[in-house]
Amino acid sequence: MSEDARLLAEIHAARALTRARPSAARPSHAALWTHANREPGAPVDLAVVRALRSDPEAARRYRTLLGAQAVAHAPLAAAASDGALTRRRVGPFELEILVGTPPLLILRGPDARMPRRIEAWLGDEAVRLDLGEPVDGTILLALDPAVAEADRLGQMLRDPACAVFLL
Amino acid sequence: MAGLGITIQRIEKSQGVARRPGTGRRMTGGYDERCAADLTAVCDGRDLSREDRTWLARVVTGAVRPNRDKPLWDLAHALAALARGTEAASGRDLVTLALDPGLATAAAVTARFSGTVVADARGPVFGEAWRTSWAGLARLLALAEFVLTAEDLAQFATVTGWLDELAAAPDAEGAAFLAKRLARHLSAYRNAHLPLAPLERRFRAILGFLAGRKAFTDDDILTFWRGEMEAGERPGFRTVAEHFVTFEAAAHLIGGLEGLSAPVSLDAHAGWEERLDAALGDLAAAEPAETLAALLADWPEGPKILTGAEREELTDLLRLEPFHRTRPLTTLRAASFGQVQSGIANRLRRGGGGGEVAERATCAEARSYAALQERAGALAAHLARMLRIAAALRIAERDGLDPETRAVLEAAEADLRRMRRSGFEDRAALARGFAAAETALLRLAEEAGRLERSLAGLARQRPLDAAFAADRSLFAAAFAAAYAGEAAA
Repeated sequence: MSEDARLLAEIHAARALTRARPSAARPSHAALWTHANREPGAPVDLAVVRALRSDPEAARRYRTLLGAQAVAHAPLAAAASDGALTRRRVGPFELEILVGTPPLLILRGPDARMPRRIEAWLGDEAVRLDLGEPVDGTILLALDPAVAEADRLGQMLRDPACAVFLL
Repeated sequence: MAGLGITIQRIEKSQGVARRPGTGRRMTGGYDERCAADLTAVCDGRDLSREDRTWLARVVTGAVRPNRDKPLWDLAHALAALARGTEAASGRDLVTLALDPGLATAAAVTARFSGTVVADARGPVFGEAWRTSWAGLARLLALAEFVLTAEDLAQFATVTGWLDELAAAPDAEGAAFLAKRLARHLSAYRNAHLPLAPLERRFRAILGFLAGRKAFTDDDILTFWRGEMEAGERPGFRTVAEHFVTFEAAAHLIGGLEGLSAPVSLDAHAGWEERLDAALGDLAAAEPAETLAALLADWPEGPKILTGAEREELTDLLRLEPFHRTRPLTTLRAASFGQVQSGIANRLRRGGGGGEVAERATCAEARSYAALQERAGALAAHLARMLRIAAALRIAERDGLDPETRAVLEAAEADLRRMRRSGFEDRAALARGFAAAETALLRLAEEAGRLERSLAGLARQRPLDAAFAADRSLFAAAFAAAYAGEAAA
């Protein structure tokens, strides 16, 4: 009888759930996942981009998806700092900005698996760039002031509140 | 008095009654808001059919026999088969398949995978021991999305990590290991979001009360409810009636479960699938399959075919579907005295009490059965009139029609001219509004008509005034005893 009661309870809950009508979260998981996997510079779903800017809940869900597939990610700079950062750790990787013309982003890490892309988040702003191939375990990326996104990435990375995803 | 509400909440918490965040409304259906939202995200995102929605709800609540972990075993093997067939390099590739809303139907998964994944005539195969149909694979991908995204993605990284391990070694051992992990994962989810223990206690009590009977009467429901009230549980009459709705739908499953803990053949699984689907069959039935409650909740915006008050009344009368057709007396009891009890419960929840509870408990304000019957008749007549107006708006060319039909349409035109409701002024907009609401209107008018007929049938057997008077003394006595403490406070 106990097993019967259990099954009836489960069926009752299934029936009630089927009748329940909460509104589904937007954008859908699928739309956020597609956005998380996009090629840098590829066309984007503007509805998703708008939602990520205006809806903190959508942004949180997106970063969860991004974090799960990242080689490494850091929500904030590891240590608080007064001024602009030129060096920070993201998981097993070290990011350094070498001041110069143009500034250089240097990414060093363990030999095993190097990331292909970087996505940085500061407030509701996001920038994604291809990292290029590593040479001797190091990736070099010129943060050319003439390339708007690269320039912006350099500025964002210097802010301790910037979240970094290595993908 | 405020302390009382807190005490009630504490008791309910200990009994596993979840509350809806924000409104604080009790959720006695056995699930919480999170679970409903998680499930809706998957069902709406994939635009699942009614059958697949009820299947997924069943798997989530655990209404699967003989072994409620079987769908997770199937899912792990399906993912292993996909990992092999698509040469998935990492868990991420499997996540992409699981989240793809384009893979929600048998036709879509057949088109995508029939050339790449090892399959027999029915669908994918993994090794010697596991196979499913293409439709089964589509369902399992919906389950994959659920386990990945459950708890609003709280476990997404963890589950993705498990899929990484499977993609690295998509063999029988890896599939079995993943199946175990997923079973634990879903079981933890059920513990957190599906407070089934109080429901299980209630059904155990119903089974004990019926002592092996599978058929029951309206008076059985009332007697059982009074017993629970006396025992101090104080469930809502409407809630108890809803449990009997489920009991009736699933009665054919009772008694067949003992001795099923032993390993059983796949044939046994197949048999149970059919029987469990049948228990939810009224929810998954042919179009228009929406439940009446959902139909009324999602009523389209537009001309005021139904006012808010009319929708509420209809919701109240039809909420115990299918009892409005089959058990008119229980329908009346729920609409009259169930309503009184909800009023008392709401009053207590808001921290009120004292004189007002005592006064409500007398049922002096309960709506009489005759008044409810009259109201149900008026609502049915209103819906029938609206249907005729819908026809008049649709059929502009009437020359070829027989005189009788023409007369009906002309009468509808006259009704339409008399209507003083918002949105009824502009004929073109009105026609669009009626066209959008037509399916819902048709179904609702039909069910309201059935309610009217079942109430008329009851009134012929049992004079409603006498039945109401007798029930009022029973309900008033039950309320007075059960809420004596609060009424005196």
